[in-house]
Amino acid sequence: MPPQPHPIPHARPALWLGAAALLLAMTGCRRHESHAAAHTPTRGGTLVYATDREPICLDPHVQGDMPQVFLAQQYLDSLVAMDGAGHILPWLATDWTVSDDGRTYLFHLRHDVTFTDGTPFTAEAVRANLDHMVDPHTQSSTAGGYIRQYAGTDVIDAYTAAVHLKTPYAAFLEVLAQGFLGIESPRALARPRDENCQNPVGSGPFRIVRWDHQSQIVLERNPAYRWGPPTALHTGPARLDRIEWRIIPEPSVRFAALQAGEVDVIDSLPPEAETPARRNPDLWLLLADRPGNPTNGTLNTRRAPFDDIRVREAFLRSADIDGALASVFFHHYRRAGGPLSPTTPFYSPAFEHHADYDPDRARALLDQAGWTGRTAQGIRTRGGHPLVVHIPVKASLSAAERTLWEQVQATARATGFDVRLENGDDTTVQEREGQWDYDVRIGYWNTNTADVLRIIFSSAFLGAAGVAGHHQNEAGFSDPAFDRVVDDALLTTDPDRRRALYLQAQTIAARNFLQVTTYPQSTRLALSRAVHDVRLEPSLNVTSLYDSWVTR
Amino acid sequence: MTTLSLAPSMTRQPSRRLRPALGHLGPAAAFLFLALLAVAALAPHLLTHADPLAIAPRDAFHAPSAAHPFGTDQSGRDILARVIHGARQSLALGGGAITLSLGIATILALVGGLGGRIAEQGVRWLIDILFAFPVLVLALLCTATLGSGIVPLIVAIGVGSAAGYTRMVFGQVLSVRDAGYVEAARALGHGPLRIVARHILPNAFRPLVVTATMGVGQTVVWSAALSFLGLGAPPPAAEWGTMLSMGRDFIAEAWWMTFFPGLAIVLTMLSTTIAGRALQRAIEGRGP
Amino acid sequence: MTRFLQRLAWRLAWRLAGGLLVLLAAASLTFAALHLAPGDPVTAILGGASANPTPEAIAAARHEYGLDRPLAVQYGLYLARIARGELGQSFSLHMPVIAVLRAQAPPTLALMASSLGVAWLLALLSVVPTARRGLSGAIASTLETIGAGLPQFWLGILLLWGLAFEWRLLPPAGNHGLPTLVLPTLSLAIPLAGFLAQVMRESFDLALGQPFILTARARGLGDGAVRLRHALRHALLPCIGLSSWAVGALVGNAVAIEIIFSRQGLGRALFLSVATHDMPLVSGIVLFVALVYILAGLAADTLFILVDPRLKGTRP
Repeated sequence: MPPQPHPIPHARPALWLGAAALLLAMTGCRRHESHAAAHTPTRGGTLVYATDREPICLDPHVQGDMPQVFLAQQYLDSLVAMDGAGHILPWLATDWTVSDDGRTYLFHLRHDVTFTDGTPFTAEAVRANLDHMVDPHTQSSTAGGYIRQYAGTDVIDAYTAAVHLKTPYAAFLEVLAQGFLGIESPRALARPRDENCQNPVGSGPFRIVRWDHQSQIVLERNPAYRWGPPTALHTGPARLDRIEWRIIPEPSVRFAALQAGEVDVIDSLPPEAETPARRNPDLWLLLADRPGNPTNGTLNTRRAPFDDIRVREAFLRSADIDGALASVFFHHYRRAGGPLSPTTPFYSPAFEHHADYDPDRARALLDQAGWTGRTAQGIRTRGGHPLVVHIPVKASLSAAERTLWEQVQATARATGFDVRLENGDDTTVQEREGQWDYDVRIGYWNTNTADVLRIIFSSAFLGAAGVAGHHQNEAGFSDPAFDRVVDDALLTTDPDRRRALYLQAQTIAARNFLQVTTYPQSTRLALSRAVHDVRLEPSLNVTSLYDSWVTR
Repeated sequence: MTTLSLAPSMTRQPSRRLRPALGHLGPAAAFLFLALLAVAALAPHLLTHADPLAIAPRDAFHAPSAAHPFGTDQSGRDILARVIHGARQSLALGGGAITLSLGIATILALVGGLGGRIAEQGVRWLIDILFAFPVLVLALLCTATLGSGIVPLIVAIGVGSAAGYTRMVFGQVLSVRDAGYVEAARALGHGPLRIVARHILPNAFRPLVVTATMGVGQTVVWSAALSFLGLGAPPPAAEWGTMLSMGRDFIAEAWWMTFFPGLAIVLTMLSTTIAGRALQRAIEGRGP
Repeated sequence: MTRFLQRLAWRLAWRLAGGLLVLLAAASLTFAALHLAPGDPVTAILGGASANPTPEAIAAARHEYGLDRPLAVQYGLYLARIARGELGQSFSLHMPVIAVLRAQAPPTLALMASSLGVAWLLALLSVVPTARRGLSGAIASTLETIGAGLPQFWLGILLLWGLAFEWRLLPPAGNHGLPTLVLPTLSLAIPLAGFLAQVMRESFDLALGQPFILTARARGLGDGAVRLRHALRHALLPCIGLSSWAVGALVGNAVAIEIIFSRQGLGRALFLSVATHDMPLVSGIVLFVALVYILAGLAADTLFILVDPRLKGTRP
């Protein structure tokens, strides 16, 4: 590789920063901002942002996948905001009261907000949005799934809305802070779903002007914007004139485009590019773990062999996750050992090592469970049946994660598991998952509340999800004691009580060996040094370009 | 992806010229490589002692060296061993697909060539239809109905590449049908079956030996292309297309992960082409 | 001359009938795929496996698409919709199929045109100066064989790595301006040039041995003029046929290349629609591919007749 032209004085601080970055990474600091704003912010200019996946619909209420919320954060505002410490702050709602039974939220709204189509923001808009999320026709998996308790909204006056829930829901404000539940123009929402998908309308700092499918989405500044979130660094309209949101699915190509100066920011920085990115003095990184349930393989407890807790523990202890993190993830990803990612509220570190790699213990457990026979290939058998683990693998799974599971396949084979990684296109795999036709299901769940445990492990989520999607309790786990704990946690807003209950929930989940947890989901941005003040919105650590500016 | 659908056009008018610079060196090298491939497919352990499936995460991404001549992959597996062990799957796929393809071509060509005017036009249209239908969709159809694995892949590639071969064999059958010696046989009162068996088949299908040889290389490329798109062999099997596809994510850090499996594909393709041409010269030497 | 035109018109009409047949067959095969693929077609229509439509929506869609009727009737309805130009709604992209085609076809067609052009250029440069010229001919011919043997996806990755990542001569990705077209074009053009040149060399060599070349030389025409004015004309014919295949195979070719270079286009759209079992979109793209194939064949036929008036009704 030819030397990169850059002034010599840069080299040393870069080296120093690189070392500091390494130190920070080693000490597990969640954010690495080797970037100091040298100038005062300037207005104008275009920022080119490159991402890996194209949203299937720009309205985050529909279905609800991560690429949608990343874009939504640029053009939508939320009723409330969340800060880094997990506190809920006013945003479009100036203040609110919760009824004593925890079932009615009275929101007082800002008076000065208009959507970019000219529609004023009123209590009617709040009702239209919440109704839209739970409308089956919207096909909302995420937003709709989060507010299954929603009963309806009463418009008290133009700027006061009373939201009624069927049951108390302590995490309600937390999920409202997520971009998935962003507030759209009611006039735009009234259009057919597929039309709204193409050009939804919000009140945010930018508005969508064009969607060039499979190529880019263009956003322009909303000049009237005066209602930024309290977590922002400035007030008033956004500093950038324009955002070009490019879709570059190939990870190596995306990073090369950044290095070549074709784009200013990339997200989903692949692990193999992280070391070169840290060494490159023209780049800086913005990394943060996302809260929720970490990246994992969930064991299907509803059929053999994982209906036996000993076999589940044996499988967890046969999987050498650290080996994978050291090879294909280049030590850049930290291990997540428990059911919650460390950045989730009420996370307890007590479960990080509850099922570490221990092949000897795995063998002993399999002996106990009666898997004592061996086939000619060394696969364990019981009653003549080989110990086979079926794992459907989506075509869209990243190379790094695919490799991780190939390594699990190899290490689990050493203790006698025949792990079958079964390739399929995403639709076929989803169909199999819907029919419980798997032993391990590869997935994750990003959310800013410990209530995620209820979604992924409580028996209420064994059936098809309320409004869309299929069962979200992929483990098929059903335990009345666990259900009681996570339900109780929704009834109280007392932080100490919630902490105690979620500790119990984590304990039960960990003791049942329901998941091979691997690493926390994370937002990983690499940015050109010409880009300043890119922020991660704290509720899901999603990129926010509201404060950003560029120097050319 | 179309290398294959183009291939018949190439084999349709194969080069008859002996290249002085290459002389017999090219064919010799080609046959040597094919022999090596055969050994790799039948007895891979003769060529390498390394285990193609053994992972060593701490030895991941090692550049080519004496210990690992082709380097190691993202799980620390030896790429040379994986390329060698991958020969079996690739050749099985290539052989299976070309057999199926030529089988379809033969039947269609005979029906079209000897079945009268309507059949002839029908086969022409069928060729057009097959050419116009994207093989990716065909592959989807096969995996959807037959499940994933090697058989659907063989069917998809076999049927997908049948159009080109049908076109070629069909042309041969037509020219033989109208040739003087067949007329003569007819004049002598020989029955149609005998004419097909004695005259048309041998003369129309002698070039097929050549085509089949070249076609194996083409189908290997094809199967690599489909594996590249995620329709290939399940892990941890070593398969050239899958290896190459995995390697492309790491191309900036570990070029050898993509380069060597690709080289195996290219060399297979080249040596089958060169060997096919050598065979052709040999056959034409004693021509009809 | 009128007889010739009559023949030409007859041929084109015959071609057109064949083309319609191909379209019909492509539509039918896609219909079969829709019904053979696992899962209820209605779930596919209503948003794939991740959607969970209400019973009312299912009933409405069943009725709308006639899925509650016998298969033969459904097939008829399907063909009637296509005949009316109704390609339906792509559920994976939440937009009409026709809009997807309108947006995704131009980049793919541009890629096709540029790679075909470059392939012809490379083939001409390789064949015309070297045909029947000992060593240089042998070297060029070897290069052509190798070129034809390079898988496009492998070549694409290596070009990307060398020219975009290591030397940074060209932008690696996207659809933004001419420079981003260079690498994908080369990846497609080099193998195609190999095939074209092999076919061209064959006919070129043959032509150079023909008596009329000797006559031309005897008239005192220089070697360059002989090659360009006389031999080349004969060498072009088979190449036109081959080019029409290449155009027809365009979308299939584009799949891997558009993925590698993260380009927008029909190839990638086809791949994604297949992965999401988005049958309305799959059938829309399949029909488009068939149409391009037919038009390419038609164009080649017309060119054949224009370039070589001797050719009358001998080709299918």
